[in-house]
Amino acid sequence: MIGRIVSFGRRGCEVLEALGRAGQFLAQSAVGIPSREGWYLWLRQVHFVGVLSLAIVLVSGLFIGMVLALQGYTLLVDFGAEQALGQMVALSLLRELSPVVAALLFAGRAGSALTAEIGLMKATEQLTSMEMIGVDPLRRVVAPRLWAGFVALPVLTVGFSVVGIYGGYLVGVEWLGVFEGSYWGNMQGSVDFIGDVGNGMVKSVVFALVVTWIAVFQGYDLVPTSEGISRATTRTVVYSSLAVLGLDFVLTALMFGGFS
Amino acid sequence: MIESPFVVVEGLHFSRGEKDIFRGVELQIPRGQITAILGPSGTGKTTLLKLIGGQLIPDAGCIRIDGEDVHALPRKALFRLRRRMGMLFQSGALFSDLSVFENVAFPLRVHTDLPEAMIRDVALMKLQAVGLRGARDLMPSELSGGMARRVALARAIALDPELILYDEPFVGQDPISKGVLVQLIKRLNDALGLTAIVVSHDIQETLSIADYVYVISDGRVMAQGTPDSLDVDEDPRVSQFVHGEPDGPVPFHYPATDFFSDILNGEGRP
Repeated sequence: MIGRIVSFGRRGCEVLEALGRAGQFLAQSAVGIPSREGWYLWLRQVHFVGVLSLAIVLVSGLFIGMVLALQGYTLLVDFGAEQALGQMVALSLLRELSPVVAALLFAGRAGSALTAEIGLMKATEQLTSMEMIGVDPLRRVVAPRLWAGFVALPVLTVGFSVVGIYGGYLVGVEWLGVFEGSYWGNMQGSVDFIGDVGNGMVKSVVFALVVTWIAVFQGYDLVPTSEGISRATTRTVVYSSLAVLGLDFVLTALMFGGFS
Repeated sequence: MIESPFVVVEGLHFSRGEKDIFRGVELQIPRGQITAILGPSGTGKTTLLKLIGGQLIPDAGCIRIDGEDVHALPRKALFRLRRRMGMLFQSGALFSDLSVFENVAFPLRVHTDLPEAMIRDVALMKLQAVGLRGARDLMPSELSGGMARRVALARAIALDPELILYDEPFVGQDPISKGVLVQLIKRLNDALGLTAIVVSHDIQETLSIADYVYVISDGRVMAQGTPDSLDVDEDPRVSQFVHGEPDGPVPFHYPATDFFSDILNGEGRP
């Protein structure tokens, strides 16, 4: 019994210690104005984590919009409310599915790659050699990746929403015959820019910060072996996914749960 | 007592988990000379270089470089100090996304405002010194281990540092490259007056260029002196190590229980 309590306490201390390290890591890497070369490094990372994630995010958005329209239509048509399909697709995407699914895809596609890349740099002593050259790897390696993820995910979320709504249009209007005017008109009438689009974007910005932070920290803090890289990459996807889903509930409760 | 040493290590204690690596190490690295640090495998020679470079923090004691306490410096000041140092890593540690030329040009680009033409000239001069000017466009993945270490050496000397730390510079080098490297380290030291610390297992090569030698074992400095004095040192541990003798007081085996009882009582357990 005592042993269990000791073990539990030790584990708790380790978690708190890791959280402290992660906080310090974020503060050290995120502050400061980037140099001209810093902007170039940031742009390269935007390409790596953002542009290269575009295909998977847009294709997923298209299919999710199409499925939403199909499922929504079969439900709404029973009540003779299929004209509200556009409203249903848009609100589902803007408030929930776009920020959450885009963040989960981003964690799997870009987050795991960031962890593996930084982890391999650590394992091959590239980060250490950078330190010995007098260059801070937190500023040169971590910061551009952190800020690139922070910017890229909200933009990807916008793309996800746009393509998803178009996917809903293809299925609802072009295939199932919902009146085009009511699809767009109901959407326009019911979607509030601040309340729906704005809140969805706030969620996306929070998810971007959390997912990228987890990814770069796991890469930087891992045990520099092949097994360590493998475990850290897995941890990035698991922790990011759980954090996104948990935070989504908290943010939804705050934004739409009537607490405000 | 060395007059005005460049690096001073005082009462250094460092441990990893339960294992004590250093137990009160005292070193004085003379300015403008080549100091060799020798010792059996696992004595923490590379760890010592990382402590000097400020990458690891000692449990007790202090390390001063040119009068500055490495571990008392704030992060920015530590990075400023490191610009005056170069380190050759055992693995080379080249940046895998940059070509050979860009690896060597990297310190020049980040720490100087030199025009591109001059950066090119300096980087090519450094590559010429290590015999790899012709490999400038190769990527690190296309180099052999020995070539990678020579490129890393070119990068380490790109900014003409005042202190250079060599971690096993001769490992994996063919005899020609090894000879060239020995001469290069010596020439750099003579021409630029830089202070060098060489950690190596290649005793003959290292002793041929070292001005002063420390032998570390069991967490302490076991012997020190000039190469000639160590060669005739009567301490059996020093003599065994310097002359590479298989039998002697320095054990080959990692500490373990008796071999026969281990075999007989194992009953299939690892």
